Amino acid sequence: MNETPEKTTHFGYKTVAENEKASMVADVFHSVAAKYDVMNDLMSFGVHRLWKRQTIASSGVRKGHHVLDLAGGTGDLTAKFSQLVGETGQVVLGDINSSMLKVGREKLHNLGLVGNIDYVQMNAEMLPFPDNSFDVITIAFGLRNVTDKDKALRSMYRILKPGGRLLVLEFSKPKHEALSKAYDFYSFNLLPTMGKLVANDSESYQYLAESIRMHPDQDTLKAMMNEAGFEQTTYQNLTGGIVALHRGFKY
Amino acid sequence: MALDQATEKTSDDTNISTFLMLPNFVLSLVERILNQALKLDPNVAHKLTTVKQKRLLVEVRDWQQTIQLVFADEKLHIYTADNSDYSDCMISADIDTLVALKNPAILTQLIRQDKLDLQGDLNIAQAYSGAFSEIDIDWPEQLSAYIGDAPAQQLYMHLMSLKHQGSKVTAKLSSTLTSLFQDELAVTIHPLELAQFKQQNRELKGQVAAIEQRINTLLNAITR
Repeated sequence: MNETPEKTTHFGYKTVAENEKASMVADVFHSVAAKYDVMNDLMSFGVHRLWKRQTIASSGVRKGHHVLDLAGGTGDLTAKFSQLVGETGQVVLGDINSSMLKVGREKLHNLGLVGNIDYVQMNAEMLPFPDNSFDVITIAFGLRNVTDKDKALRSMYRILKPGGRLLVLEFSKPKHEALSKAYDFYSFNLLPTMGKLVANDSESYQYLAESIRMHPDQDTLKAMMNEAGFEQTTYQNLTGGIVALHRGFKY
Repeated sequence: MALDQATEKTSDDTNISTFLMLPNFVLSLVERILNQALKLDPNVAHKLTTVKQKRLLVEVRDWQQTIQLVFADEKLHIYTADNSDYSDCMISADIDTLVALKNPAILTQLIRQDKLDLQGDLNIAQAYSGAFSEIDIDWPEQLSAYIGDAPAQQLYMHLMSLKHQGSKVTAKLSSTLTSLFQDELAVTIHPLELAQFKQQNRELKGQVAAIEQRINTLLNAITR
């Protein structure tokens, strides 16, 4: 009897069945949702705010735009986009994880940001929107958790309006050997310990470190975006390449 | 454009300013300070309502930086920008000219002098210039929320008096220093004093010579 070989993907350094990854990633984020913002500040020493500022600066978002903040989590980017697009614009905060959406919605409501924000639980590989719907799509620290990244990029391309742009903010590969070694030491030794102390969850932060290493480097991701149909694709290394901001347009 | 440049400049990632994202950091501080000022003087926000959601790009030539300003949701949003980005108004000038824009009346004069390039809606630049040049924070009112009306007024009066005295001292110091630098100081003696000194010196020399001669005469008389 012939068994169909099961498709596999990576979950950190582990190899898992493709259909299991989404639920495993979901478990990670259910676990960290409540402490997500605190941990972000702690882990990055607050620099994640500057990375996100650069994303907003490069987005070109303006009054009346329709923006999708994919894997938007606790809504840092959505909060700014909501103010910039104004009453005539619309921001969709999308995340596959209900716990993250819940934390995001509560936070944005407490900031008084209501009226032009929709909250949608969605899978980046099958975005539930018509073609040519959005002026700007951002995915910040989310793409590396997606099972089929190529499929997700094609899905984003489909729903982007002609002239629209995609911004991918994601951990990447440091450009210098010394920085890379220091970063490795920090990620595999200090990060899980911090996760254990603050969020009582070292496994999720071990997964974070491993998933970053398994994520495509700058040039590979750029090639993947081009393959999905994006044009004028460029990337900008932030903090020595620890994070990279990719930008591509649809024409 | 700037993003392309940044990508091409990946070999410059060791640059400390790029590594620490200093422009972003500085702009986030400026944004925070200006938004605090907006809260303290609500008139500024009122004046900026005419440019709500409009994007002003400011190219600071001597810093080689472009900044975008958007007034939205009663807050100022300030970010780095690309020159090619969409804007409702774009101004390009060096930092001295931008500081001079505190007076909106000289805007057209600066354009004629080619010190300022302006594209788009002139009213947007004028609105920002006008709003920030007339910023007037009611400090006693703000302080009263923390320490009460009377102490706040007292403290304010003291601070104003200190400021007044400070400016008087500064003016006096400046005038003293100016006169010290400008006036001729008696570092050397007057030529007449020198002539007198020389005369006295010559007389002394003559007297010493006379004594020397007498001593020699006496020594000769003794030895003989």
